[in-house]
Amino acid sequence: MSTISVLQEGPVNALALNKDNSQVAIGGRNVFKVYSIEEDCFKEICNLRASKHLNLSFSCNDVAWSSTDDNYLATAATNGHVCVWNLTKSGKAMQEQVYQEHKRTVNKVNFHSSEPYRLISGSQDGTMRYFDMRCKAAVATFLSNTESVRDVQFSPHMPHTFAAVSENGSVQLWDVRRTEKCIQQFTAHSGPIFACDWHPEATWLATASRDKTIKVWDLTTSKPTLDYTIHTIASIGHVKWRPQRKYHIASCALVVDCSINIWDIRRPFIPFAAFNEHKDIASGVAWRGDSQVFLSTSRDCSLIQHSFKDASRPASKANIQALDISTKGNTLFGMRVPVSTNTTKPTGLMRKSSTSTISDQFHQSASVLHQFTHVSVCNDLSSFEFLAKNYILYGRSFPEMCEHNAAVAKECGKSNISTIWKIVNTMYGELYVKIQAMHNNGGLNLMNNVDASSTEKKNNDVVGEAAAAQFSSADDDVEGEDQVDHTAVANGYHTYNKYGHPKGDFSFGENELDLELDALSIDYRNGMRNQNQLQQQEDWTLPNEAFNIRHEIRDRSPPPEQFPNNNSPDFNDDSHSSTVDEQPTWLVSVSKIPPMPIWDPSASLIESLKHHAEKGDVQTSVSVLIVLGEHRKNLKTLDENTVTHWLMGYIQTLERFRLWNVKALVIELAWIPSISQMNQQSTRINTNCSQCLKPLQRSGWLCDRCHSTDASRCSICHQVVKGLYVWCQGCSHGGHLMHMQEWFSKNKQCPTGCGHLCEYR
Amino acid sequence: MFEAAEINAEHKDLIHDVAYDFYGNRMATCSSDQYVKVWDQIGNEKWTLTSSWKAHSGSVWKVTWAHPEFGQVLATCSFDRTAAVWEEIIGETPGPGERGTRHWVRRTNLVDSRTSVTDVKFGPKCLGLQLATCSADGIIRIYEAPDVMNLSQWTLQHEITCKLSCSCLSWNPSLTNNHPQMIAVGSDDNTAQTGKVFIFEYSENSRRWMKIETIITIMEPVHDISFAPNLGRSYHILAVATKDVKIINLTPIKDNSSIQSGLTKLDVQTVAQFTDHTCTVWRASWNVTGTVLATSGDDGCVRMFKMNYINSWKPVTVLKGDGAVIPNDAHRGSIASSTGVLTPPITQTARYIKLGSISQPRDLPWH
Repeated sequence: MSTISVLQEGPVNALALNKDNSQVAIGGRNVFKVYSIEEDCFKEICNLRASKHLNLSFSCNDVAWSSTDDNYLATAATNGHVCVWNLTKSGKAMQEQVYQEHKRTVNKVNFHSSEPYRLISGSQDGTMRYFDMRCKAAVATFLSNTESVRDVQFSPHMPHTFAAVSENGSVQLWDVRRTEKCIQQFTAHSGPIFACDWHPEATWLATASRDKTIKVWDLTTSKPTLDYTIHTIASIGHVKWRPQRKYHIASCALVVDCSINIWDIRRPFIPFAAFNEHKDIASGVAWRGDSQVFLSTSRDCSLIQHSFKDASRPASKANIQALDISTKGNTLFGMRVPVSTNTTKPTGLMRKSSTSTISDQFHQSASVLHQFTHVSVCNDLSSFEFLAKNYILYGRSFPEMCEHNAAVAKECGKSNISTIWKIVNTMYGELYVKIQAMHNNGGLNLMNNVDASSTEKKNNDVVGEAAAAQFSSADDDVEGEDQVDHTAVANGYHTYNKYGHPKGDFSFGENELDLELDALSIDYRNGMRNQNQLQQQEDWTLPNEAFNIRHEIRDRSPPPEQFPNNNSPDFNDDSHSSTVDEQPTWLVSVSKIPPMPIWDPSASLIESLKHHAEKGDVQTSVSVLIVLGEHRKNLKTLDENTVTHWLMGYIQTLERFRLWNVKALVIELAWIPSISQMNQQSTRINTNCSQCLKPLQRSGWLCDRCHSTDASRCSICHQVVKGLYVWCQGCSHGGHLMHMQEWFSKNKQCPTGCGHLCEYR
Repeated sequence: MFEAAEINAEHKDLIHDVAYDFYGNRMATCSSDQYVKVWDQIGNEKWTLTSSWKAHSGSVWKVTWAHPEFGQVLATCSFDRTAAVWEEIIGETPGPGERGTRHWVRRTNLVDSRTSVTDVKFGPKCLGLQLATCSADGIIRIYEAPDVMNLSQWTLQHEITCKLSCSCLSWNPSLTNNHPQMIAVGSDDNTAQTGKVFIFEYSENSRRWMKIETIITIMEPVHDISFAPNLGRSYHILAVATKDVKIINLTPIKDNSSIQSGLTKLDVQTVAQFTDHTCTVWRASWNVTGTVLATSGDDGCVRMFKMNYINSWKPVTVLKGDGAVIPNDAHRGSIASSTGVLTPPITQTARYIKLGSISQPRDLPWH
């Protein structure tokens, strides 16, 4: 059977199927019709509103079809009438009985399941009336003692019992033979109950409420027990158990949700199936005898027959797995596991059970959550932290910083990054500067003093290094060991230059050089880093002030004005045309004084930095750029947007690792205004006066109100705090960081004795 | 090496999402049982449950953290057709020795959707507090909290209609204003034979979100989509979880037509495709540097992929959902992928109209 629908002239409030499920009666304010259900359409049999004598008793809140006699219909009218209709008659005679006993609108009529002619009604006036169609008046009246009765349903199991639910949230069970008092009464919901339905087999009563829940009560015992609660997304107006499926129940909402949901009560969070054909909220549901087909009416004026094969399954759309990776590289993974009822052993493998159907498996849902913790000693993320903490980015000379950073990178196993630092050092180190200077001075001054052969050696070194650098930058992940050694020697050489001749006066003999060079190279291998640190500490460590002088000032590179000579036209052509082979010739013959060919390393360096950034390693790119200092000016093709991007990336990653000091340092050293401004935003914190708790707006040490200067004093040593001041936002007391740290390691309360439990972490 | 530890989350139904916070010291789980739970880890100890509350009246599909700059803020979305923003507040009077009574309050409930809200994500921090949701009826909504100090006021800024039912979305996490705001949306529709991944971009000129690309090579239902964190790349990487894992490079092309139109033209290249899971892939997630992609599928495994030195993606690790680590499986996986999987990159370009450089970067107080 397929999904079919028919449109009415007005909203439909209710529907009822005859006993063999071949015809459906629908009722609404302006609609009252009987359709026969054909294979692919609804066929109108009669329109009970065709009569000329329409009155309010024709507008129905509910419609019921006699369960014994196919010719009788009953309706609950909005004007308080209960009408019985005889379909065999026509015209005005169809309205066989009109009971005008309820004072307010009638919400529900329900035929007795076995006794013909008997029906019951529930009304907004708080009463239920029991009718015999052969009598002109109600045979019994039940007073619910509540504001209004929303639903009455005869029990399919106990012939004389019916359930009534009311707007005050209570459920009453009545025996039709006892009108004076209900058998049982209990409060089922915190809000109005709009509907109830007896389970066709089990002794369950389902109640639906405005509190967005459907509750399933077991009424076998004297005290009702709540077996299941379904949480839905909206107030529930109607519920109907699904035939032949013990745990399934259909519901439609009173507001918001236009779909009809079928729930498995064992999985009370998500509908087993949903039908979304209606455009407005559904007002009634009736199963057509079997579990696969049901009909529904809606405020959108339609009557629809739904087929289960057209249902949508909200749960199948759900993502059944959860996955996330943390800053530290830990992985959380939650996945669905089969819940088997007899064994509790959770296994990681999906159960392959071909016999069980969807509905069997549907309610068996649970997830296991695992965290996979990164435990390897050396991974990318831990080395990131190590490098960030240990890199030196300012305060020393360029070669020293490069040396140090190379050693740091090597220490945590990042030999390729270490090599980058060495190459950068070679590219822009002392020698580079000298050659630059040489160019500026036409090479004359230095050449005169320096032994030609030593210069030659030097130049060969440079060329060799340059070639190596070029090669490595292009593909630095596959660095050969030999190059590393080569660089190391060269680095030793530079170091020698620096320490031996601090002011850069360039005069020494070849022998001397070789000796020293060898010694230093060995030194380097035996722990150059320590030696460097020792010397650097003497030379370069500055007091740790709040505002560090930018390292550029101490950089001994020549003033930047001299760099542009690189491009000056007078030797530009030469530098391009001359080749490596020519060098010895012109070097030996000093008299020529030709300009030395300079290989500009910037292109390769940029390429290398970009390579690292693309690999997700902005740390290297940014650190190198910072250390380069003034040399950055040579990297002309590196646009500011890209560099800003790298800096932001590095800064954010530092944030993730809570490396605030490094972050602040990077921002401070950043040469791009939009980044360096970040340290100047929101830097002001107003403290409170420690006596009167008034916020100190004007100055941090004098309170305008009580003219006390206590806020500037340490609450432990009572001295004025210079430097780091820590204070509690709760009680405004504070003092020296060291004192506070000491105090709170032993105490919880504020040192002033104000009684505040300061939270010091 | 990985060490597995089971966390007894005690959710009564499926766990649909987990999310670490910015630093990785807290996590949030959400489940079909309509509860959201927040867990804390102090040091390297076990996770302790600090809060648990019924967040929605339907299954909670996704949970996501806002940048800590905005406070301890979560967003959730649910089958109940709403998305909610939650803020943690610490109770007034902590008892002696206690850290205080923490609880989460609902700051706002976004009720614009008429169907299940399938994903919710906070925008990049540089855009302020922005929230994107997508729903089963194919509507993407962008909300903004104009005052970052007031989380109860959110205005619906944009509604983007995407004809297919949406299942997942991802903001391009670019950190600077060089890249226009970009969102990728995936659809789990399994009827229409069209592309299931859409890229939207905010056009500064028209002040609207425009679709700039449909990745037509992905026709299968998409279950998860994730932009890789971009710390310094010139292009964007998108991971898509469908019946397999796809890694897609989106390279902005700068040419005259894109400058005139104001919209980015993207060069879309599928750089990797892994069928290692051999079944439906449900999730894809990147590490913080965007170098490792983790995916999970119906085979109950988490597989990790990494780009090697010649820019090709290779499987590196396999973790089983029950906590076991499969040794040497990575090797096997790499063979499998290199033989059968790497299809020739499919190149396509598309032209659209509009692009705007974001001229007014939002001024945000830096905390």
